Amino acid sequence: MRRLAFTLAALCAAAPAAFAQDANDTSAAALISKFAAEAGITADAETGKAFFLATQSGGGADTPSCSSCHTADPKATGMARTGKEIAPMALSVNPKRFTDTAFVDKWFGRNCDSVLGRECTATEKANVLAYFASI
Amino acid sequence: MPSPGIAAKSTPKPAVTEPQTRVWDIFVRVFHWSLVLAVAIAAASGLMLESRILLLHISAGLAAAALVAARIVWGFTGTTHARFADFVPSGAAIRAHLAGGTRHLGHNPLGALMVLALFALVLGLAVSGLLVLGGIDKSGPFAPFVSFGAGSVVLGLHEVLAYGVLALVAMHLAGVVFESERSHENLTRSMLTGAKAKRPGDHESRPRPAHPLLAAAVIVALAAGAWAFNSAQAARPVPGLPVATLDPGYKAACSECHIAYNPSLLPAASWSGIMAGLKDHFGENAGLPAAEVEAITNWLVAHASETADTKPAYRIAARITQPPYSITGSRSWKRLHDDIPDALFASRAVGSRSNCAACHADAETGRFSPFAIDLPKESLK
Repeated sequence: MRRLAFTLAALCAAAPAAFAQDANDTSAAALISKFAAEAGITADAETGKAFFLATQSGGGADTPSCSSCHTADPKATGMARTGKEIAPMALSVNPKRFTDTAFVDKWFGRNCDSVLGRECTATEKANVLAYFASI
Repeated sequence: MPSPGIAAKSTPKPAVTEPQTRVWDIFVRVFHWSLVLAVAIAAASGLMLESRILLLHISAGLAAAALVAARIVWGFTGTTHARFADFVPSGAAIRAHLAGGTRHLGHNPLGALMVLALFALVLGLAVSGLLVLGGIDKSGPFAPFVSFGAGSVVLGLHEVLAYGVLALVAMHLAGVVFESERSHENLTRSMLTGAKAKRPGDHESRPRPAHPLLAAAVIVALAAGAWAFNSAQAARPVPGLPVATLDPGYKAACSECHIAYNPSLLPAASWSGIMAGLKDHFGENAGLPAAEVEAITNWLVAHASETADTKPAYRIAARITQPPYSITGSRSWKRLHDDIPDALFASRAVGSRSNCAACHADAETGRFSPFAIDLPKESLK
């Protein structure tokens, strides 16, 4: 039992925090500006909301929408298909969101493919980030 | 089996009031009925094959063995009819009894053989059970010495011995009924009250004094020895355990979406297959940069199920060799979890079959000890 406790303690000590977003090299505002400039648009939170809630096609059968895992409320804690919790997307309840460029790129890359079967456009990224920053 | 000859020489029905004599002392009676209880619990919990009551099974089995050990001490230090010297029969005595010999106040020769056989099997079950616990579950005093393969072989022996005890219990009950009929007495009541009718012609026993303080001292010494042995074994390293510390890079990348599975839960080739297909990882894109994929794959392969001597490595992981390399999709995993309701997997506390750690506190160690299972209560309706 002591051996087990030690092992668990060692595991905890060695484990970096899940969902590490500690680069702190960007912000939601900076990312929105960057994607909006790339797309040549003005970011629109309402369009982003509709995109977030929409049922898409082209992606995986278990992930038809962003809200499949993130829930329809960005302020709520989501849950991956594995049972793992996903921290809220809304900046107002989770200020650490969108502060790590590599993290944001990695998850747009993975999740747009899972939901849409393709990469997201700069327009979609700018709008959905504007939605998360607005609520 | 008693021959018809015994019944033929049945004594005539005795008078209603006979002089009584004390045969079974309090130690023998408490031992007997405690052993009945311990064996009943061990047998019932063992036959259920349910890991969540394994601790009860082990406790009852060890209690039965401890009772037998104490009874053996009392067999050298106790009252007249408790002594082995009083009842362990010679070959001639067994033959004479089968031919319809005199009535015994203590154990008759056939009853004595039953006593010895039960003692041997109960002790054999405790030792083989601890060997199984050490080899298969990597727990208990023999964990440092017994491999999974050896533990699996001993498990077969443990089961044979267990059915042997059940057979002996049935024969014992038949013997008690037969002998009670033959000698017109209630042997079961005698084991409760300790008293038996003394009749002319009974087999003569040499009276022996009891030494309860000596018996207590020896029993305490045996218990201390068992405790010291167990403590010494617990301090030894257990070979064949899965890698204890997860690679930080693996854990950071892979435990974002699911628990950090111990690498001993899949064979090396299956890990390579999984890592080569991260772009479609159980229905989702879990892609990583190529350098990260290579580093994580190397670490997983180096600590894959082939390196672990555990139950999950042999019973589950070793059989998962085909895409999509799903642990929870494997037949062996499903069989081990077939009594868990779907609602529990879907509950908020668990969420998914892949969330091993919701119920197995030691999931990340790859051990999956039966003692580390705790089903979330809020979900059990």
